[in-house]
Amino acid sequence: MKRLLDIVRLRLRSLFGRTNVERELERELSFHLDQLTEENFALGMSGQDARAAAKRSLGGVSQIQESCRDMRRTNHIGTLWNDLRYAIRTLGRTPGFTFVIVLTLALSIGANSAIFSVIQGVLLRPLPFAQPDRLLRVYFQSDSQPKFPLNPNDFRDFRERNRTFESIAALTRHDVQLSGSGADPVMLRGFTVTGGYFHTLGLTPFRGRDFTFDDELAERGRLAILSDHLWRSRFSADPNILGRKITLNTETFTIVGIMGPDVQHPGNNFQAVADGDTVDLWMPFALYDYPGDRGSHYLDTFARLKPGATQAEANADLSTVLQQLMKEHTGRGWRIYTIPLYQETVGRSKRMLFVLLAAVGLLLLIACVNAANLLLARSSARVREIAVRSALGAARGRIVRQLLTESLVIALAGAALGTVLAYGGVRVLVSFLPAGFPRASAIRLDATVFAFTLIVALLTGLLFGLVPALTASRTDLQNSLRESGRSATGGAGQLRLRNFLVVGETGLACVLLIAAGLMLHSFVNLLRADSGFQPQQVLTASLSLPMQRYRPMPKRVAFYKQLLDSLAALPGVQYAGAGTDLPWTGYDGNADGYKIEGRSDGYNSKTTARYHAATPDYFRTLGIPLVRGRFFDGREDYVSDFAGVIIVNESMANRYWPGEDAIGKRISFRSRPKEKDWMQIIGIVRDVKDEPNSTTNHPAFWLPHSQQPDPNMLVVMRSSTDPALLANQFRLAVRQLDPELAVADLRTMNQISSSALSTQRFSLFLVGLFALLALVLATFGMYGVISYSVNQRMHEFGLRMALGARPADLLRLILGQGLQLSILGAAAGLLCAAALTKLLGSLLYGVSATDPVTFSAVALLSLGTTTLACYFPARRAASADPMHSLRSE
Amino acid sequence: MSRSSDLIQGTLDLLILNTISLQPEHGWAIAKRIQQVSNEVLQVSQGALYPALHRLEQQGWIKADWRVTESGRDAKFYALTRAGRVQLQKVLAQWDRLSNAVGLVIRIGAAQ
Repeated sequence: MKRLLDIVRLRLRSLFGRTNVERELERELSFHLDQLTEENFALGMSGQDARAAAKRSLGGVSQIQESCRDMRRTNHIGTLWNDLRYAIRTLGRTPGFTFVIVLTLALSIGANSAIFSVIQGVLLRPLPFAQPDRLLRVYFQSDSQPKFPLNPNDFRDFRERNRTFESIAALTRHDVQLSGSGADPVMLRGFTVTGGYFHTLGLTPFRGRDFTFDDELAERGRLAILSDHLWRSRFSADPNILGRKITLNTETFTIVGIMGPDVQHPGNNFQAVADGDTVDLWMPFALYDYPGDRGSHYLDTFARLKPGATQAEANADLSTVLQQLMKEHTGRGWRIYTIPLYQETVGRSKRMLFVLLAAVGLLLLIACVNAANLLLARSSARVREIAVRSALGAARGRIVRQLLTESLVIALAGAALGTVLAYGGVRVLVSFLPAGFPRASAIRLDATVFAFTLIVALLTGLLFGLVPALTASRTDLQNSLRESGRSATGGAGQLRLRNFLVVGETGLACVLLIAAGLMLHSFVNLLRADSGFQPQQVLTASLSLPMQRYRPMPKRVAFYKQLLDSLAALPGVQYAGAGTDLPWTGYDGNADGYKIEGRSDGYNSKTTARYHAATPDYFRTLGIPLVRGRFFDGREDYVSDFAGVIIVNESMANRYWPGEDAIGKRISFRSRPKEKDWMQIIGIVRDVKDEPNSTTNHPAFWLPHSQQPDPNMLVVMRSSTDPALLANQFRLAVRQLDPELAVADLRTMNQISSSALSTQRFSLFLVGLFALLALVLATFGMYGVISYSVNQRMHEFGLRMALGARPADLLRLILGQGLQLSILGAAAGLLCAAALTKLLGSLLYGVSATDPVTFSAVALLSLGTTTLACYFPARRAASADPMHSLRSE
Repeated sequence: MSRSSDLIQGTLDLLILNTISLQPEHGWAIAKRIQQVSNEVLQVSQGALYPALHRLEQQGWIKADWRVTESGRDAKFYALTRAGRVQLQKVLAQWDRLSNAVGLVIRIGAAQ
């Protein structure tokens, strides 16, 4: 141990106490010299002779010194320092070259760092819960429902009977209106959660307590846990808030806890709220309020595996319980579906992120090839310098090391500048991320990203530096020194290498261009596709009537009828309606197992359709056209005689009444099986896609709001002018009816449809940007190679002209040379692209991964830019002066 | 980086370590001593001696300090460290094995 310390101390001394060490060595050797001299003197030599003989016998002092330095092993650090200074000086002498090469590397390294920081934040960083790998999402599954939420009673049975979970908890969306305390009423994003919800996620309240099973009793459940941001923004971070009463939906709740600032919502599926700091408060779920109901499914369920238990064991365990339940109650062909929380959270973003990573990786590769090409061109201009250095005794390894140091300096400078770009880039990136992108808040430049950048820079430096360095150091000494600068070329081998690099660069750029082209094509398809509704000039807002004051259903019907009537009377408003949901907002509530009149099938899960309620003018406002029949007329009544009616979409009509007219047909639900509850189809509307890129349409039906008076509705207004101008009038209209009602989510339908396309727009924008950069780099690469070869051959061109070649011949010669490389590159690129574009998968819409239009367009684009890149060098070649060449011959 | 030494690589280290195992010595004295003890057979050149000393020092086998010689001059004296002593035992044992082995080979060769 002491020896190690000694070694470290001595190395440090050799490194930093250089002058001291050197001086000591000098003293030591001069002592030796004196001793020798004295000995010689004693042997009888004269003073001068003795000294001279001593010097002879000692030999070259500086050689001894140098080999002592070698022995101290610190010499190469000194060499590195020298190389660094030399590299910086050399690069500083050609600022234009250095600027171009550093900038291209900075752009591509910066892009890599930025995309990697997204991947690090979203995919690599562990979820913000304790031991997140033990957390599972639990769903029901049937032939028609891939992921169905749980029913409260089923949940409770799972909680009591499972053997594989340490704990299991569920939550469901329950937005509430906070009023009182002087301020305007505000809608809060809330969830009701089962006892031990936070415990299951591994979170503990910052103050106060988690909910217990006792809190699940309805009479005890007027409790709330606040999020950190709500506590700060609405309650000015009052430290004594525990126990305080607040008014939610006009009822009194007691605050029992506050969560810390880093507590995140894990994301949920039913009435989805994105993960992150997206929830304002939590209330207990009244688990015992629904005796006998096994049909309503709305609980998003999380479970924590016992240590050592596996997902497969959990599946088997829950399936056993489910079998029991289906025997005890009416069974309906359900299965258990579990998925690790991590996969559930980031699964859908993975492909897009990997596509982006692949794109920036390609870009970096192109930048490397470009840098290698530039360095090669430079090293042929430095042939003489290198030859002189070898002649003066520099070993080949020493020259390679010097040149590699140069490329590493370039790469590190690129990385430094790239990090600055990435710092800004990540902020822009995050602000442009598609709405609801998982874990967006976890994205930032951190130590891992810096380490990644550094490693990428070092690898890049080696990658683009090694080939030029090895080539340059293999210089034929005699030739280079003998020949004058005129023909100091790198020879045919080097030209071949550079041609190869340009072909590779063009090919890689083509791959990126094709990816971008396919995505652009898809995006245009999406914009052109018939969405089934007309989003222009529609304003939307969400309202939620507090159940306490609007428990009687006629009251809810009356409220919305009055509101919509007053809205429709506003100047500039064409139609006003309300529905339980809006197109393209991710709604996927389904009604399962209805019975079709005249069919022998009982209630089963084979009949399924999206389930909505709407007011009469909902369809006209959104521009959803009627195919046959009629819209609701507002005379549908809930109370008297209940003549149930529904409107269905084309998909539902075609699937369940193929070849028949669905108008007048009737269906009924298990929960309302009586004869008077049968519902008759009065109208068929056009299909509206679930998502812009849905390839199939789901069957769907609408109940009139007057027969299904949901308190939470989305109000829509079609304006004859800019819909955003209606916002204030809308607020006013709401306030006149009920001053305590909060208006939330005021958006235009255009905003909604635009954010539904945000994933595609985002990835198209980035891949397009990278492809553009790649094209620019490849064009510069081509220009560099052709321009260089023209410079080398100017003499030859002069001779050709003298022998009768016309300028057009030379122009054709050079363009031909460029086109040859470009065609090779494009061909290689198209082949690679054909193999790779399948990976774009769901990012494509309405276009095949080997779309011939895109492929040929990119090939033409690549050939076009190449021709452009070759044109200027070719013009120079064509202007070769025959007299000049002849005179110098 | 030429190390002009007739000695087998590593042997010089052994000789140096052994020479200073009795008492600290400066470079000149180490060379002289090896020469004398070997009856002038082993001549250690300065070009080999000083790099070897520096290497041994860097490896932590020996340590150096400046002292005054009998003749009143400043000189750099080298002494064995504890680790150096252990190393010397190892190298000596190795040398014994090697020279025995070489001896055996030579003797058998001579007997034939």
